Amino acid sequence: MTDRRRARRKAAWRRRRLVLLLMSPWLVGFSVFFGYPLAMSVYLSFTHYDLLSSPRWIGFANYQYLFHTDQQIWPAVSNTLWMIGVAVPLQVLFAFGIALMVSRARSGVGIFRTIFYLPALAPPVAATLGFVYLLNPATGPVNVTLSHLGIQGPLWFQSPQWAKPSLVLLAVWGVGNTMIIFLAAIHDVPRHLYESAELDGAGPWQRLRWVTLPSISPIILFAVVLGVIQGLQYFTQAYVAANVASGQASQAGDLPANLGYPEGSTLFYPILLYQHGFRYFNMGYASAMAMLLLAVSFLVTLVIIVNSRRWVHYAGAAR
Amino acid sequence: MRRMRIAVVVAAALALAAAAAAAAPKGKAGPTKLTVWVGWSSATHELKSFKSLVAEYDAKHSEVQVDVVGNINDDKILAAIRGGNAPDVVSSFTPSNVGSFCTSGAWIDLAPYLNKDHINVDIFPKATQYYTQYAGKRCALPLLADTFGLYYNRTLFKKAGLTRPPKTMSELAAYAKKLTQKNADGSLKVVGYTPFSGFYDGAPVKAIRNAQSWAAQFMDAKGHSILGSDPAWAKALKWQKNLIDWYGYSKLVRFQAGLGDEFSASNAFELGKLAMAEDGEWRVAFIQNEHPGLQYGTAPMPVADDHPQLYGSGYINGTIIGIPKGVKHGDQAWALVKYLTTNSHFLAQFSNEIRNVPTTKASLTSPEIKPDPHFATFLKIFGNPKSTTSPITAVGAAYQDLIENFVVKYQAGHAKDLVGGLKNVDKQIDAQLAQAKKGGRVP
Amino acid sequence: MTTAAATAPLARRKPPLAVRRRRFLVAVANHSLLIAVAVLFLAPFAFIALTALMSTNQALSSHLWPQPFRWSNFVDVWSKAPLLRWALNTAMYSGLATLGVLVSSIPVAYALSRLRWRGRDAVFLVVLVALMLPPQVSVIPVYVLWAKLHLVGTLWPLIIPSWLGDAFSIFLLRQFFLTIPEEYLDAARVDGCGELRILTTVVLRLAKPAIAAVALFSILYTFNDYFLPLLYVGESPHHWVASIGLSQFRSLHQVQWNLTMAATLLVMAPVIVLFFLAQKAFVEGVTLTGVKG
Repeated sequence: MTDRRRARRKAAWRRRRLVLLLMSPWLVGFSVFFGYPLAMSVYLSFTHYDLLSSPRWIGFANYQYLFHTDQQIWPAVSNTLWMIGVAVPLQVLFAFGIALMVSRARSGVGIFRTIFYLPALAPPVAATLGFVYLLNPATGPVNVTLSHLGIQGPLWFQSPQWAKPSLVLLAVWGVGNTMIIFLAAIHDVPRHLYESAELDGAGPWQRLRWVTLPSISPIILFAVVLGVIQGLQYFTQAYVAANVASGQASQAGDLPANLGYPEGSTLFYPILLYQHGFRYFNMGYASAMAMLLLAVSFLVTLVIIVNSRRWVHYAGAAR
Repeated sequence: MRRMRIAVVVAAALALAAAAAAAAPKGKAGPTKLTVWVGWSSATHELKSFKSLVAEYDAKHSEVQVDVVGNINDDKILAAIRGGNAPDVVSSFTPSNVGSFCTSGAWIDLAPYLNKDHINVDIFPKATQYYTQYAGKRCALPLLADTFGLYYNRTLFKKAGLTRPPKTMSELAAYAKKLTQKNADGSLKVVGYTPFSGFYDGAPVKAIRNAQSWAAQFMDAKGHSILGSDPAWAKALKWQKNLIDWYGYSKLVRFQAGLGDEFSASNAFELGKLAMAEDGEWRVAFIQNEHPGLQYGTAPMPVADDHPQLYGSGYINGTIIGIPKGVKHGDQAWALVKYLTTNSHFLAQFSNEIRNVPTTKASLTSPEIKPDPHFATFLKIFGNPKSTTSPITAVGAAYQDLIENFVVKYQAGHAKDLVGGLKNVDKQIDAQLAQAKKGGRVP
Repeated sequence: MTTAAATAPLARRKPPLAVRRRRFLVAVANHSLLIAVAVLFLAPFAFIALTALMSTNQALSSHLWPQPFRWSNFVDVWSKAPLLRWALNTAMYSGLATLGVLVSSIPVAYALSRLRWRGRDAVFLVVLVALMLPPQVSVIPVYVLWAKLHLVGTLWPLIIPSWLGDAFSIFLLRQFFLTIPEEYLDAARVDGCGELRILTTVVLRLAKPAIAAVALFSILYTFNDYFLPLLYVGESPHHWVASIGLSQFRSLHQVQWNLTMAATLLVMAPVIVLFFLAQKAFVEGVTLTGVKG
């Protein structure tokens, strides 16, 4: 009996060792690149640290500056919220609309799918450069085409009112991934649901409303959550667009204040964080900003999941 | 079969990695490798000139091998110093940042080296002495200086019946309107003068450089920002906005967005799309290289109508050079810095090539300097006792960013209250400076 | 792929002429709209390509059609900028990071899906949380860490972490591993295979599509990555990857839009070629992220 127990314990130990072995890369990675930085960020957010001399404890000064003094924080927050609030719904709407149309096409599904997916493949830097060129107010093809139609196009990336909408256009152009996911989900909707709906006298619009939408609502939720998460870290496109659009100026040697160009309209929270952390090297202050971002990310994800669970559940019941 | 494929993938990845590693520059045994970072762009003649002149030094000094890297800006320098991979010698186009370079210790104090070699800083012109130190700490030396003046296109002037360059700001505006041509659809074809801050501008932007011509003061004796209380600022910005509004803001932006890059052969002044431009003396060399046939003239920048005595002066800026914290070969780096900043022969040669103002008193009058009527205009501006630069502060150029942010909003018509806006800028600058006194830029 | 899920099933009985005509018209409308949107989606590529073939002066004008076509732009680009070096650096980053992601994430995903142990679900939740949070949250201390190790200015801060498990890949592989029927594993266990052997033989073979998808995503991610290369190699041109190089191309080389667009196309090309080579794996992979999520 003790032998058997010992054998069992040995087997259990071996098993635990195996789990530990298999998990080891993640355990190390998680502690070094996630756990430690998180703890360290908390500490640094209470210090002044410029990477030249060691961190100096300054209590809540960073947070005070963050919430009371810094005139750039609120614009950065509201720009980020604007982008999430406008771009995410539009992306989902477009992806869904296109997926629906492609799913109903009688021929050429493969070709259409490829065409709509291609822009999603364009590397963000390349796509952004392309759009800054396309939307050049003077010589860009979009405004040139508009002027042939007798319309004077907007200033796009050169105007604080149009810079964010231009970025939204870029985002909508790249909805390919979401579109493919929606397309697969639409195909997975059981046919008999449509048949019984049609027997009940439902028209195409009603079938869409009461069959297709409820069936794929979890996927829509997924797309929304993903969009919000990506919106909170939105960086590359805005950074590159501001840099290139302001690039009529300046020799490579010196940068004007081009982050957020024009007039801070594309200054998103991650870009402001980058500016403080890696241009000014206010590592302590940037850590305080990171803490706020952490709190907001948690909160936003939580709110979406809690709220939409009701919605998805309701939709699920309609099945 | 499958395993083989994986093996092939692994092997290919490793081979690529090895190739990339092999292609990376390797430190050679023998001469000490000195890396010099400069801002001149690799696409221009300027970097080529600097490299070839440094090669002369390299050839004479077998103990070092100098590697020049171009396209560097202050962000890159600071990031490299923080990241622990700074080069041996660094240089910057933004002397305003010297305040933060010196106080943070990012650029090391050069006093010990200067003392050791018995170099008296009085060999440098006064203006350049000012922007290479902060609060008594000299962490940089001047490597050629820049002055700004007015370039005007003689062909376009003749067509418009104008014979001499404008001397006052109201003249400048009148000339600009006279020289402007429009297309049939009402869009701008040739622009007389664009006062647009941020267009064809490095740091600092036009509004900050032109403060000089308006006699607008940045700070009072106590170091407080006085943009809101010095009426010259409001006057200057109103003049700027009036001219922009005459073109129409959106028309001007459209016109500017269609122009070629400032530092390329497609520069709008060089192509005759801008009839007048405020620019640095370096443009003389660019025109010489890119459009030698261009009929143009140079003159001091026009000045405020109520300050005619300022005519002939201009804004002074310059390239600064120093040694970063954590330098590996300090003595060799200093030897090179000393050569680049004090050797008359080098300074004169380099000035001839890129047409920047030489920065020692000896080289300013050196017979080696090739005479050129256009360039002479700028030497005169540099020598004018009323020429100035913008204040050097502990926050570096950050205060200028705050001014620029407001100016850009105002010129677009997005800031209605001019004086109130300037007062708010004052508040922010004062807060920033106060923070800096406590020992950091922002908390 | 089945088409037209909504209309096909009712073809059993022939519907009246009016209905058929209406359906036909709806299909035509649908197709026309699709084609119109497709043209809009392709237009940016077309304009980029046309501009890439213009002369410098023409790129500064408002003409849309190159006259003449300057194919030499694609040659000039190579002499303007060290594209080859960027390509090599990108290949090194992409190759080593992808290899690392696979080697490190597969075992973790296996432990999280096919082995039973206490706290497994909690750990999986933590993996998910790590996936959700923006990288900006932890980037500062991590940067300080690499700076202290004197590795800022090299590609190693980008490569090394991927050898220590990647949350997204772990998540994807775990979801796929869960779909492998238990019988296959049991059969191997009866044959006396240890868990490691089961992983390297049975599981790896069955999970080929998922592994291909993870590899593809990793290649794409590294190729497109901008934020981290900007932080770590932004000031070391010798180590620039394609994304950084391209973003600096215009301002650095003082060129006009024609060459910039040529470079842009050259950076887009590898991804698009990769897509056409592995189209099936792509679409399956993307679908996997959504449907199983």
